[in-house]
Amino acid sequence: MDSSRFKIESANIEIAGGNKSSTSYKLADTVGQLAAGQYSSSGYVVKAGFQYLHSIIPFRFSISDINIDFGTLVPSTPSTATTNLTVYFGGAGQYQVTAVEEGPLKTQSSNAIPDTSCDGGANTCNESLAKVWSSASAYGFGYGMSGNDIPADFIDGTYFRPFPARTVAESPATVMTNINVGKNRSSTVTFKTNISSIQPAGSYQTVINFVATPSY
Amino acid sequence: MRKNIIIIIFIIFITIILPLATAHAQQVSLSLSPPLLELFIKPGKAIMVAYNLKNYSDPTFLNLKILPFEAKDNLGNIRIKSEFEGPVRFSLDNADLKLDQPFFLKTNDSQQILLRIRIPENITDGDYYYSLLAETIPPTSSEGIGSARAKATIGSNILVTISNSGNVDIKPKIALFSVRGKIFDSSDKIPVVLTVVNKGKNIIKPEGQISLKGNFGETAKYDIISKNILARSERLLEATPSALLDCDKGTDGACPASTLILSGFFIGKYNLSTEIRFGENSPTIFGFTTFYAFPFKIIAGIIFTSLIVVFIIKKEKILADI
Repeated sequence: MDSSRFKIESANIEIAGGNKSSTSYKLADTVGQLAAGQYSSSGYVVKAGFQYLHSIIPFRFSISDINIDFGTLVPSTPSTATTNLTVYFGGAGQYQVTAVEEGPLKTQSSNAIPDTSCDGGANTCNESLAKVWSSASAYGFGYGMSGNDIPADFIDGTYFRPFPARTVAESPATVMTNINVGKNRSSTVTFKTNISSIQPAGSYQTVINFVATPSY
Repeated sequence: MRKNIIIIIFIIFITIILPLATAHAQQVSLSLSPPLLELFIKPGKAIMVAYNLKNYSDPTFLNLKILPFEAKDNLGNIRIKSEFEGPVRFSLDNADLKLDQPFFLKTNDSQQILLRIRIPENITDGDYYYSLLAETIPPTSSEGIGSARAKATIGSNILVTISNSGNVDIKPKIALFSVRGKIFDSSDKIPVVLTVVNKGKNIIKPEGQISLKGNFGETAKYDIISKNILARSERLLEATPSALLDCDKGTDGACPASTLILSGFFIGKYNLSTEIRFGENSPTIFGFTTFYAFPFKIIAGIIFTSLIVVFIIKKEKILADI
């Protein structure tokens, strides 16, 4: 079966094997063979795209603003900035967007604004769980999400998480994902920082890497 | 005079302030196709695959790299590893491009990426999974302020099965086939969950159906979407046509993932069965489950209405007696 965009070749499977069964389920194992004729002559078989989708929309990822500017930070006065993430995935079926920071916001002399733990106590957040961060005396750097396909723990605009940090080998956090076929999906990331009065002056910087990948 | 001042302010806004405001919103928008490549290949062979990378927004520097990935969960999400590993060798056939070397892409320009994939001789049969990643180089930071810079990375997955003989190892098993709950109201939407685990060394691709049979003989069939299940991983399958839970229509992600949402008016016992194949002449695996549905809401409504009617009749009778 083929089209103008791809060619699908069905496999030729089952040379040897056997079945095993239980009361509810059946386990089958077998040894199969892939498109025997073509494979033995050329040494490879290639398939591009998804078999169950036919779309001319390519997998596309957009960030509305890559400069997240907090302006001049004032102690105990939270600063926020937003950017929009949009994924077009007509031909990719399902997707995920992950986020990871290079490290905390810090100056060249390594003074750092630590990653937020939100309001603390019962509202202590971490890289995989958003909690309320509304106290002016809770300092740090983090993010909140709103829009399509975001994690369920971002209940409203007061819920935040810290970014996982690549420098300490933390796994990137999934910030958008959808297992269903869909069209343009968009979310807003709200970056937030709040500093104490003893935070040294300086230019605090970091890089956040948003990685969009289709599924397999 | 006042009119002139307004015009001057308007011109200043258009010529100076507006361009400054838009200059700060540096956008990134990239597409990469094809989004998935499946390659079955013998050791000692090499192929070249053409990708298309397009920049829809502001000009940017980009970097191409290849990293391995693994299944992160049973929903089809992936975890990209931080370091390259595995026997597969990647390079670019482009004269002006190399992996891990930045290049510039103007607005609305496309770059064809000619990716060569080479399998050395004497490699053990097995599967290897990689992502081709195109990442932007973040802009230089502004001094004197607090700021974060976003880096955008877009990926396309490459599934490589190396087999010297062309044989593949197929060991599927149904890990879970059930409905979320056993007894439902007749008007409820019924979520069905079907998870298949791949215990073999190679990727498998399920095909088949989920069948629904009621106690009055009514039947319905739902096709399983043929999605890849990576070696030694499991995946929640999807079937179609499926209804949506109310929470799927909104913006939150609170709905548990399901294979199929049954909707309609159900009464009595229902049998659900599934039959899954993995290619021509492959063995078939089966699953079976049941659920019950009764019109609880309608019965409750009838009882409630009857109680109110009885109450009103009794009250009128008492008033009439008085």
